[in-house]
Amino acid sequence: MLLSHVVHTAATEVCFPSPLSVLQGEGPRASCGAGAGQDVGRSCILVSIGGKNVMLDCGMHMGFSDDRRFPDFSYITRNGRLTDFLDCVIISHFHLDHCGALPYFSEMVGYDGPIYMTQPTQAICPILLEDYRKIAVDKKGEANFFTSQMIKDCMKKVVAVHLHQTVQVDDELEIKAYYAGHVLGAAMFQIKVGSESVVYTGDYNMTPDRHLGAAWIDKCRPNLLITESTYATTIRDSKRCRERDFLKKVHETVERGGKVLIPVFALGRAQELCILLETFWERMDLKAPIYFSTGLTEKANHYYKLFIPWTNQKIRKTFVQRNMFEFKHIKAFDRAFADSPGPMVVFATPGMLHAGQSLQIFRKWAGSERNMVIMPGYCVQGTVGHKILSGQRKLEMEGRQVLEVKMQVEYMSFSAHADAKGIMQLVGQAEPENVLLVHGEAKKMEFLKQKIEQEFRVSCYMPANGETVTLSTSPSIPVGISLGLLKREMAQGLLPDAKKPRLLHGTLIMKDSNFRLVSSEQALKELGLAEHQLRFTCRVHLHDTRKEQETALRVYSHLKSVLKDHCVQHLPDGSVTVESILIQAAAHSEDPSTKVLLVSWTYQDEELGSYLTSLLKKGLPQAS
Amino acid sequence: MESAEDWLVESLRLYQDFHAFDLSGATRVLEWMGDKGILVAGYESLKKNEILHLILPLRLSVKENQGLFPERDFKVRHGGFSDRSVFALKHVPDTRLLVTSGLPGCYLQVWQVAEDTDVIKAVSTIDVHETEGSLWSRVAIFSSAAPGVLHGVRLSSLKVVDLESQKTTYTSGVGDSELLSSLQVLDADTFAFCCTSGRLGLVDTRQKGLQGAQEGACSLVISLAPAVKVAHRKAPGFDGTVQVYDVTSWDGMWGRVDPLFTHRGHIFLDDNGVDTAPLVTTHTWHPDKPRTLLSAASDASLHVWDWVDLRASC
Repeated sequence: MLLSHVVHTAATEVCFPSPLSVLQGEGPRASCGAGAGQDVGRSCILVSIGGKNVMLDCGMHMGFSDDRRFPDFSYITRNGRLTDFLDCVIISHFHLDHCGALPYFSEMVGYDGPIYMTQPTQAICPILLEDYRKIAVDKKGEANFFTSQMIKDCMKKVVAVHLHQTVQVDDELEIKAYYAGHVLGAAMFQIKVGSESVVYTGDYNMTPDRHLGAAWIDKCRPNLLITESTYATTIRDSKRCRERDFLKKVHETVERGGKVLIPVFALGRAQELCILLETFWERMDLKAPIYFSTGLTEKANHYYKLFIPWTNQKIRKTFVQRNMFEFKHIKAFDRAFADSPGPMVVFATPGMLHAGQSLQIFRKWAGSERNMVIMPGYCVQGTVGHKILSGQRKLEMEGRQVLEVKMQVEYMSFSAHADAKGIMQLVGQAEPENVLLVHGEAKKMEFLKQKIEQEFRVSCYMPANGETVTLSTSPSIPVGISLGLLKREMAQGLLPDAKKPRLLHGTLIMKDSNFRLVSSEQALKELGLAEHQLRFTCRVHLHDTRKEQETALRVYSHLKSVLKDHCVQHLPDGSVTVESILIQAAAHSEDPSTKVLLVSWTYQDEELGSYLTSLLKKGLPQAS
Repeated sequence: MESAEDWLVESLRLYQDFHAFDLSGATRVLEWMGDKGILVAGYESLKKNEILHLILPLRLSVKENQGLFPERDFKVRHGGFSDRSVFALKHVPDTRLLVTSGLPGCYLQVWQVAEDTDVIKAVSTIDVHETEGSLWSRVAIFSSAAPGVLHGVRLSSLKVVDLESQKTTYTSGVGDSELLSSLQVLDADTFAFCCTSGRLGLVDTRQKGLQGAQEGACSLVISLAPAVKVAHRKAPGFDGTVQVYDVTSWDGMWGRVDPLFTHRGHIFLDDNGVDTAPLVTTHTWHPDKPRTLLSAASDASLHVWDWVDLRASC
């Protein structure tokens, strides 16, 4: 992956809207061979928001077995250390195309900052990473791979988060996890700096399945929502039909006296399939035994106890009543059962058939065409699982023994992903201003872009791999208004009208990342400044032969009759006031027939003062 | 939903393969584009409708090793927006052009399916002279080096228009204003028509007038399976099922014939929970798989199913 573009850094300390930019890592969608039918990409997205830099997921590309599988961070590290550049790393869930490069990134490239993920992800990641490492190094003899110690060291940097808990990364950056469905512990993340926010969905699912709930987010109105483009162009086959297919295959095999092997990882999908089979066996009154390898049960029970808040309501209820794996029709497996004649179904680990019990059983059953193996997920290159999914029917095992695979091989995808409809639902829930779809081919997706833009009146971006998208945001800056100022405005008599803006005079004080609007007097007091008074004085020459006092009286009478809405007064010293404006009459020093009117007003009364002046310049009416 | 679960268990026996999809809008058209893609289009009256080009899941397209293909989903390959309801859609073979007919406005719209983007764009229109605003023109395509668009609202307005030059190459020349209900091209010079009255007829475009008309013969839509001689009769608007009949077993006597198979999926998998069950709007046969059908219903569902011929197991 090439981070080939400059990332924008923050603006100044005053809250100007800083551009929000997203740099997407290269994630080519590769189909690895006809048989495998594996559609994998790699997730690694860099977001710059309000001056903070966050990395979203750190996946590896499992289609490559050389350095191309890991992202290339050299562009950033060229300008400094990753730890200095990144404020945090967030991992959405434990699938390898989202976390597979994490130990490489933190221990081999070098990153010591915090890595955020949910608790289940934290518990499961290291197991998958270790499994993957073993396969890569032991089975494929790869060099330049991360070690077991590196995985441990990497996990020490992890900070676990709870759902809907606001986590302060620092005094400006906060993150929050939302339930994503999909797999145990999967989360969508909201990243917030000030009033700007981004939501990253990772992988999610909008329809609940038998053991997980559906993704959910509140109307958080982020500036940007980042999600997968492949979802938007998919119309998914219903869950019922997928289940039907699974049941049909199992049923047919068992009916003809065959054995079904289902290699699973310890959690999640296995749980889902067990519940499904149990329900079906009950309904059909089937007798063939179903087994679950004990290692699985123990581990799974342990995990489920820890992560019960992550499963759906139904499971939580049943768990309270009984042990998670106490099924009527599903029993603990004993190694010896593999040799028993007759039909049976066995769930065994590990999921890729690369070692252990599932491989043992596979070797025993592979030779009969009556049997079936159902692979429920992606298998890493080098594993037996990967080989048979690629269509290989002759496998070289230890000691140069060749195993002929006559059993039926079925590849079923049980991964719960959202689709076009789901994406629309999520966008409808979160109400983002902009939507960004990653891992697509921008040039090709005009219809999709239009569809999203039209439906939600949002802007939709689809950057090509390696491209940067910059968004301008207009963050709203909250300003506190002093009570005194509000009261004064109210006292002016006019009621506030929501539709008409009202002009308010005050002073904006920016202090300690705080904005307040106070009256000028208060501001002066707080700032310890003396108020300057500005007075304007204007001289108006009038032709009047009478004495000043009489001129003043004439002025008074005139203004009194004209300015009916204002307070016009004739003071004892002869001067006339209109509100706070002062008018004094004086004789011209050189010409006794000219009188000089001194009109004086403060800056605040500029409008009235100017008006008075022009009025007086027109002259006084003749005395009656 | 108890009945949905029951039906699913039943379906293990009744179907080899079964897929159920939810489109964003119900479609009345299912038209093939090549053998791996289908076209659907919305028919709502007060909003923008989508025309979509969907690629079949790999599993349905491959001929061998189906089990190694886990992909069961449709991919939206192209899309376009139509302001009008689309009641008929035809792909012009060997081109990237589509012709649609709908309301409001009695004209045909010609679309182009882009090569380098995912857009289906409106490019031109074909006039249909009809004064009654609520009627829409039926369409069929004469595919050849110079494709022609057969269309008409009434027998009298039947026309063939050359797609490129827009010149009229055939008119029915009859004064009969009977309304048409469907058109089907049979070969380079012949087509069949069906009227709303039930009148069925054949036309040779090289000759004048209409030939071989028969009364009351076509009140239902019939489609023939490409590979096997099995006819499928669907009753539009009658109910939410699709029925498969074997015409080879008919001995010419028009008595009561039982369907070989009835697809009830649209009724049982209806997630809306409303009292009125969805109605099947259209169906089509898979070009290569002899017993695979696609059917769509008014609740925006789209099913792909491969029924089990229970006779074969006897």
